[in-house]
Amino acid sequence: MQPEHKLSFIDRLRIMRETRFGAFVPVLLALAAIWAYFGLAVPLWEYWGDADAESIRFIFLSPRNIYNLFMQSAVIATLAVGITVVLLLGDIDLSAAATAGVCAALLGVLVLAGVPSPIACLIVMAVGIIMGTAQGLLVAYIGIPSFVVTLAGLLGFQGLMQKILPTGNLNVGDPFIRGFARVLLPDALGWALAITCIVVFAWLNLRKQTQRKARGLELDTNTAVGGQIAFFGALVLATVATLNAYRSVPLLIVLLMVITVLVGWVTTSTPYGRSIFSVGGNPESARRVGINVKRIRVSAFAIVGLMAAIGGIFGASRFGSVSYTAFAGGSLLLESIGAAVIGGTSLFGGRGSVWNAILGALVIGSLGNGLDLSGASAADKLMFSGAILLLAVAIDAVSRSGTSER
Amino acid sequence: MSEHKNMVGPVAPPPHLRVTGIHKRFGGVHALRGVDFEVARGEVMALVGDNGAGKSTLMKVLAGAHTADEGQFFMEEAPVSVNNPHDASDLGIQIVYQDLALCENLDVAANLSLGVEPVKPGWPFLPRMLRPLDDLEMEVKAQDAIDRLQVRTLQSVRAKVGGLSGGQRQAIAIARAVGADGSVVMLDEPTAALGVAQTRQVLDMVKRLRDTNHAVIYISHNMRDIFEVADRICVLRHGSNVATWRKEDITPDEIVAAMTRGLDDEAGNAA
Repeated sequence: MQPEHKLSFIDRLRIMRETRFGAFVPVLLALAAIWAYFGLAVPLWEYWGDADAESIRFIFLSPRNIYNLFMQSAVIATLAVGITVVLLLGDIDLSAAATAGVCAALLGVLVLAGVPSPIACLIVMAVGIIMGTAQGLLVAYIGIPSFVVTLAGLLGFQGLMQKILPTGNLNVGDPFIRGFARVLLPDALGWALAITCIVVFAWLNLRKQTQRKARGLELDTNTAVGGQIAFFGALVLATVATLNAYRSVPLLIVLLMVITVLVGWVTTSTPYGRSIFSVGGNPESARRVGINVKRIRVSAFAIVGLMAAIGGIFGASRFGSVSYTAFAGGSLLLESIGAAVIGGTSLFGGRGSVWNAILGALVIGSLGNGLDLSGASAADKLMFSGAILLLAVAIDAVSRSGTSER
Repeated sequence: MSEHKNMVGPVAPPPHLRVTGIHKRFGGVHALRGVDFEVARGEVMALVGDNGAGKSTLMKVLAGAHTADEGQFFMEEAPVSVNNPHDASDLGIQIVYQDLALCENLDVAANLSLGVEPVKPGWPFLPRMLRPLDDLEMEVKAQDAIDRLQVRTLQSVRAKVGGLSGGQRQAIAIARAVGADGSVVMLDEPTAALGVAQTRQVLDMVKRLRDTNHAVIYISHNMRDIFEVADRICVLRHGSNVATWRKEDITPDEIVAAMTRGLDDEAGNAA
């Protein structure tokens, strides 16, 4: 199929990025490349290079490793989803990981003090919202750039976490909190959930198509609709099959998906989400149509605070402990911002999606996991992560439609 | 001619929107000094003046973006108050700013219903901001607005505004203003950045607005455009009215003279 006028590769990339599913393609390609490298190329290389090897061992692509990969990426993904919301506004949150750390530390202390763990979780989520809202108020109403406010937040919250945890470490053994990461859905339930998701997805898409036809609107091609459903179905079934092959679907992943569906729905399908995008695209335009830009800003920071708190709970659950290095002092912050940006969310605001943040978190997680497996040092990991981040932003810059803007 | 100053007299159609004695000060700057202005339905009223004459300030006052320090507003001769953009849009006063204020990251349909997105019925337990968008309704409305104004070059209401031409963007901005049940549409230099063909498209659109019984306020520096679309021409200078003429009664040269020198009695500007 030869188009009338010649399209360069970059033009094609731009056109593709404009479509709803096309935005996934670059990050999926990155993921595929990383998986192919660590999953296929490295084992094959070792097999051929070593005469004594008896068989190829695909460690990276083994169900066990994929399972670990998902669990490792879950906390990053939770924070990245929240950070995406703020990035959509054209702001940034550098304090998300520190907020998560404070919340996790508080959770540990509360549980230790005998507060029932579900209530402790709720308290911690409220604290996260308050921390985010406070920063949002400073950004929106005082007019301090978000970079500065959240940088101050990063420093201050790191200190606060050390105050809450003077020893720097606290074990969390509470069964309710540990349950998020430990509870596994039975295999059958995992399959049922997957099939329900696919059926609902297909039904929603087909219903939309029928409604479009009934109202005389332009239609998506049947290939596009069918392709979307098939793609989504394949993705879900493959994930569940892999997870079931090792243990089964963990509750943590299901919760993460539910939260992402919720945030994704709010950002794309409600007037509130639309106003987030319009504030990110053109704040003046949003102000003129009567959107309360300041309130939107504050609410976005509240969302990132809530997501950070949830990330803190998930982290405490997964590690079974709260430590300074795992949250505030470690690489969690940069990994989660990196995940959002690798997913294709623009740092300039107005473009991006929380689903891409999940994929971005997988990219970051896979990179760390793969380099660990191949025995790379921490220094190598940092340099690789930097290169991938740069590559992702370069793809974003090249594929941004329109040349004059920003 | 000078006795017609500030008012148009019995030949004018009954005004739809009328403001009198508008004063606006910015600190020490007295930007509007008692301006009178009116526009009727089904007419295009051009608002002209040199830079700093107060055109944009008057327009922002009418749109509620600035609050007048003094002055009265009348809608169909009933007194109203306009203190913020919501007041103005509730009265059906819509403005298309020179910079258009479109969100380039959103598609045409989303831009057209920005701030007034239709939501699906039901979901009464959710605040309006969190109810599901009715994006099909949004597209239908967008398509209607586009069809009404006959923007033929636009291929899809699902196209991102970032990829449209200047004329198409102007058309979208005008369609957004009209689509929100606007009766008064103000256009600020709509053809300033456009080529010949796109200017033609926009002028045709302005005429269609008049034909569909809108009251159009058209701000421009371009005399050819003004004399093509306007019915009446209101000249401002130094924040005061110079005069308002019917297009037939005046020539472009006289308008330019009134803009730059005022009427012959220079003392008239002290008002």
